[in-house]
Amino acid sequence: MPFETSFITVISLSAPIILVVLGETINEKSGVINLSIEGTLLITALAAFAISVTTGSPFIGFICAGIIGSFVGLLIILCDTKLRMDQIAVGFILTIFLGKLSSFLGQDYVRIPGPYFQKVSIPILKDIPYIGPSLFDQNAIVLFSFMMIPICWYMIEKTRWGLIIKAVGENPVSAENRGIDPEKVRIIATVIGGFLIGLGGAAFSLHSKFGWSENHTGNYGWICLAIVIFGGWNPIRASMGAYFFGVFQILALKLQSYALGLTQVLPLIPFPLMILTLVFIQRFNKSNKVSNLPKAINLFFGGQEPGNIGRPLEKK
Amino acid sequence: MIYNFEIKNVYIVVAQILLAMFFSSLIIILLGASPLEVFKNIFNGSFGKPEKIVKTFLIFLPISLASLALIITFSTGLWNIGIEGQIVLGAIGATVIAKSFLGETTLSPLYQIIFGMSFGALWGLFCALLKVKFNVHEIFGGLGLYFVGSGAIIYLILGPWSKEGIASTSGTDIFNKASWFPTFSDLNIPALPIFIVSIILVISIIFLGFTKTGLKLKATGANPESTEKYKFNSGAYIFIAFAITGAIAGLAGVFQASVFHHKLVPSISGGYGFLSILIVLASGKRIIPTMLLALFFSAMIAGGSQLQLRLNLHSSLISIILSSAVFFWLVVNSEVFKSKLNKLLYKG
Repeated sequence: MPFETSFITVISLSAPIILVVLGETINEKSGVINLSIEGTLLITALAAFAISVTTGSPFIGFICAGIIGSFVGLLIILCDTKLRMDQIAVGFILTIFLGKLSSFLGQDYVRIPGPYFQKVSIPILKDIPYIGPSLFDQNAIVLFSFMMIPICWYMIEKTRWGLIIKAVGENPVSAENRGIDPEKVRIIATVIGGFLIGLGGAAFSLHSKFGWSENHTGNYGWICLAIVIFGGWNPIRASMGAYFFGVFQILALKLQSYALGLTQVLPLIPFPLMILTLVFIQRFNKSNKVSNLPKAINLFFGGQEPGNIGRPLEKK
Repeated sequence: MIYNFEIKNVYIVVAQILLAMFFSSLIIILLGASPLEVFKNIFNGSFGKPEKIVKTFLIFLPISLASLALIITFSTGLWNIGIEGQIVLGAIGATVIAKSFLGETTLSPLYQIIFGMSFGALWGLFCALLKVKFNVHEIFGGLGLYFVGSGAIIYLILGPWSKEGIASTSGTDIFNKASWFPTFSDLNIPALPIFIVSIILVISIIFLGFTKTGLKLKATGANPESTEKYKFNSGAYIFIAFAITGAIAGLAGVFQASVFHHKLVPSISGGYGFLSILIVLASGKRIIPTMLLALFFSAMIAGGSQLQLRLNLHSSLISIILSSAVFFWLVVNSEVFKSKLNKLLYKG
C-alpha cells in the first residue's frame, strides 16, 4: 500500500477514537473519571447502528448514540454527587452492565447491512495532497472528528468555560470560594464529555468498523482511557496519541503476514506508553513545579494531572 | 455496625434487599424474560445434578480466590482493577511449569502453585511500585499491566507455546496429565483445590481480623494520613497488600489453567477478576458475605448455559442481572438513600 493511502486510512480509522478521547479528556479535566467507556462504546455503537437500520438515517443514529452517552455520564455524576457513591465503582459496574447489555440486545443486528454516511467531497480542498483525500473526500464523521480537536482545545485552553472546568478539576473547594458551583460544572462537563464518547461509539459502528457483532468495540474503551493519559489531558496531544495508535493498527495489519500475533499484540502498545507517561508526569512534575525535563521529552511524556481527579466533591 | 442487631436495622436491610431484588427483576422483565423462569433454570443448571455441582465448584474456586484477594486491596483502600492481569500472570506461571520437564513429575501442581503465585505477586508488586514510588493511580497502573499481560499471553500462545504444527488462538496443547490437579471419584471432584481455597479462606480471616499487619492494612485504607501519627509507613503496606493480592489472584490463574482448561487460552481469566470486583463491592469487604456471594455468582455463571438451551436467552443475561443487582444494592446501600429510607420507615 503506498504511503498516501496508509495516511488516509490512519486519519479515517482514528475518527471514533479521537471523539472518545476528547470526551474523556473533558470529563477528567473537570475531575471526573468516566470509567464506563468500554461499556458505553459498546452500547452506543449498537444503538447507533440499530437506530440507523430502523430509521434508515445514520444521522439520527449518530445523534441518539451521543444522547445515550450523555445519559451514562449523567448517571455516573448523579450517583457521585447526589448519592455520594464512588464514581469509579459506578463506572466499573456500568462497564460490565452496558457491555453485556449490548450483547443481549444486539443479537438481531449481528452482521446485517445498514445505511451508510454519504461521502462528502468538498471541491478544491479535496485536491490538497494528503490532507484533501483524508479529510475533505470522506464521510462527515471523519471531518467532524478532526474539527473537534481544535474546537475542544480552544474551549478548554482559551475560554472562560474551560478555565472553570479546569479550576473545578484542580481544586473544587477554592473554585467554590470564587463563586463557582463545582457540582453543576462537573455535571455539565460529564454530560458533554459523555455525548462525545457516545458519538465515538457511533463512529465505530457507522464508520470505521461498520455494522455490529458481539463485543464489537472490544477493548477500545480501555485503550481510549490509556490514550487520554498518554495525551497528558491535553486535547491536541491526546488526538496525536489516537493517530499514533492508528499507525500501530495499520502497522500490525501489514506485518501480520510476517509475524502471527502482532495483530493482537501491537494494538496493546498504548498501555505500556500510558504507564511510561504517568511515571514521567509524576516523577518530574512534582508539586505543580514546571517540568525540568528536556523540552522534547516533555512534549511527549509531560503533562499535568487534574489535582482532584476521581475524587468526590467535599460535603457542604 | 455488623454486630448491632437492632431490630430497626434488620428492617432496613430487609427493605434494601427487597428493593435491590425488585429493581433487578424489573431489568429482567424489561429484557423480555420472566425472573422466576430464569432463576429456576439457573438453579437447575448449577445444582440440579452432581456433575453440575462439581462444575459450579470449578467456577467457584477461582472466583472465591479472586474475591478474597480483592478484599485485601480494597481493605487497604486500593482499587485493584489489575486483578485480571494478576490472574493471567498466574496462569502463565503455571504453564511455564506444565510446559517444562517439571510438568511431567507428580509434584507438578506444587511447582505450578509456587510459580503461579510468584508471577501474580510480581504483577501486583509492579502495580504497588507504580503507586508508591511514582504516584501512578492504581487503576491506570493495573489496567496497563493487565493489557501488557494479555499481550504476553497472546504472544506466548501464538509463539513459543503454540500448538504442535499450527499456531491458533484456541490455546496451547493440553497439559501433560501429571500437571492436572489430582481429583477424586468418578465426578472428578477437585479435592486439592477445594482444600487449598479453604486454607486460604481461614488464613484470610485470621490475617485481616487478628494480626497486626492485617489491622495496619485496614488502617491504611481507612485513613492514610493517620498512619503517620501511629508511625508506620503506609507505602510498605501497599506493597504488602498488592503482593498478597497478586499471589492469591495468581493462584486463581493456576486453577483456571490447570484445573479448569488443562491448557492456556487467551481469555484465561474468564472475566472472573472483574466479576470478583462486583462481588467485593457488594459484600462491603466482609469475608463471609463475600464467599456466599462468590458461590451465588458461580451458580449464576454455571447455570447461565441453561438459559440459552432452555429459554433461548443469551448467556450475557447473567452478567446483566449480576451487575444491575450490585448497582441497585450500592444505590440502596448509600448513606443518602439509607437515611431517606430510615426517615420513611420511622417518621419522627
